[in-house]
Amino acid sequence: MTAPHVSTSSTPTPPSTAEKAVRPDKPRRYGPMGLALTAAAAGLWAAWTSGIDPAAILRGPEQLVRILGLMLLPPDLGTVPDALAGMIESLQIAWVGTIIGAVISLPLGLLAAKNVGGRFSTTMARQVLNLLRSLPELVLAILFVSMIGLGPLAGALAIGLGSIGTLGKLTAEVVEGIDRGPIEAAEAVGGERFQVLRWGVLPQALPEIMAFWLYRFEINVRASAILGLVGAGGIGGMLSNFLSYRRYAAAGTAILIVIATTIAIDMVSSRIRRRIIAGPRGPKPTADPIPSADAL
Amino acid sequence: MTAAPTQPASARPPKPPISWKVPAGIAAFLLVTWWAGSGRFGVGLSIPELFAGLERGQRIMEDLFDPRWQAWRGLIGPFIETLRIAILAALLGCAAAFGMAVLTSRISAPGLRSFLAGKAVLNVVRSIPDLLYAMVFVAVFSIGPLAGIVALILFNIGVVGKLTSETIDGIDTGPLEAAQAAGARHSQAVRTSVVPSVLPNFVAYSLYAFELNLRASLVVGFVGAGGIGQVLFVALNGFRYDVVSLIVICIFIVVFLVESVSIALRRRLV
Repeated sequence: MTAPHVSTSSTPTPPSTAEKAVRPDKPRRYGPMGLALTAAAAGLWAAWTSGIDPAAILRGPEQLVRILGLMLLPPDLGTVPDALAGMIESLQIAWVGTIIGAVISLPLGLLAAKNVGGRFSTTMARQVLNLLRSLPELVLAILFVSMIGLGPLAGALAIGLGSIGTLGKLTAEVVEGIDRGPIEAAEAVGGERFQVLRWGVLPQALPEIMAFWLYRFEINVRASAILGLVGAGGIGGMLSNFLSYRRYAAAGTAILIVIATTIAIDMVSSRIRRRIIAGPRGPKPTADPIPSADAL
Repeated sequence: MTAAPTQPASARPPKPPISWKVPAGIAAFLLVTWWAGSGRFGVGLSIPELFAGLERGQRIMEDLFDPRWQAWRGLIGPFIETLRIAILAALLGCAAAFGMAVLTSRISAPGLRSFLAGKAVLNVVRSIPDLLYAMVFVAVFSIGPLAGIVALILFNIGVVGKLTSETIDGIDTGPLEAAQAAGARHSQAVRTSVVPSVLPNFVAYSLYAFELNLRASLVVGFVGAGGIGQVLFVALNGFRYDVVSLIVICIFIVVFLVESVSIALRRRLV
């Protein structure tokens, strides 16, 4: 946009040819326009055919305020010990689940990385990870509950299996991004396959991979707080009981405990993640690193 | 290492000393893991139990690997409802998320007070799991897709709001300064410099949120918030694992299709 402002709308004289040539054509961007139109059309269709009663939407805020009032004014302090015990069980589920996920996803992720695994193993490992990623934890939890019975173990296994997919994919991405030098060096001094992995690959990739484990732990804390809905232990079962028996004050207290715990865990975990990535004297980043979108 | 070292040992750099924090951290990690995994205090992780469970699960497995294909007709309606829920939640939620993101980035926030308030709201919104929203909104709106839509809107505000605000934090501030130097008000500066530079990322996050909503509609349906999840819940409660298997396969296909389109679009955008 460096064209000199010779002509303005007030001057009646047509712009000179020279000026016209300097200005680039305004780009026509059909792509974004098409995307916006598609989104708008889809939205209109969905709203039109949804059969949602507008009156229900209008009643919503009032109802929400009423229920929030029942939940929080006053909170039911009598449920605090039970709710805390449930939350601790949820944290245990998330912890054990994350460890299961990390332990299994590390070898799978290494196999799925193009610069470590062979062509066949890469394809196979990727397919396994894709399949695991498509199964929601809640479905896994139901399957495990029907296999090994009600209780937190089913939840931990569901969380673990559910974490393998994303963790493995992220591990593979990190490993594919490492510097080739140390691998070549380890090969040049006669390192065997495992030794190359141990000395050439892992030291470079492990900090970032561990940061992803912690990040996944944060996600798993949220997930484990609801798995109790299907009988897989933790605070979720209590919550859904409170809500279905309309014990809103007790439910509100339990929800507050979930919120406080997740925020506390997020804060501690994001500090540890920064420390792992940046080192003790490293620069303090202003924002969290944005993980590849699939991590969420 | 078979060759003798050619350099005197003193030329080697000294090994950095290990801080006491490392063994202490490892010990704490092992302790917490033992506590969380033990049968007495924690989840009771045991390998024999696991294998016993797998044996008991044989019938379930057999059913899972033998999907009831002829049930597909009954799934079309719920799937369309799921699609509707995901579309509306993604559009409305991401639009609201953009506003929250502008409020909660240091670069674009209009003032300290709205910045702090926005951050606090976003943190609370993000800390609540989607299913919990669904439970609460089923209580508010009663059973039906509306509860699912509102639950997922809040979920999207949390995810897309955080990602977009972090993207705004990382933009080049040159255009913003240029706009301010040219005398733009804060809103004008944000409109002409911040919005164009994060729009591609924001659209990419929104597409991603749409994918997440398709997956999430599976679980919010469990508590009565409409869509395919409700059908899945009924099938699971009735121990119809052959129908469950078909539903999971269909979800896999739908998510895969949407994901491929969305990944292709996202790659072009960013």
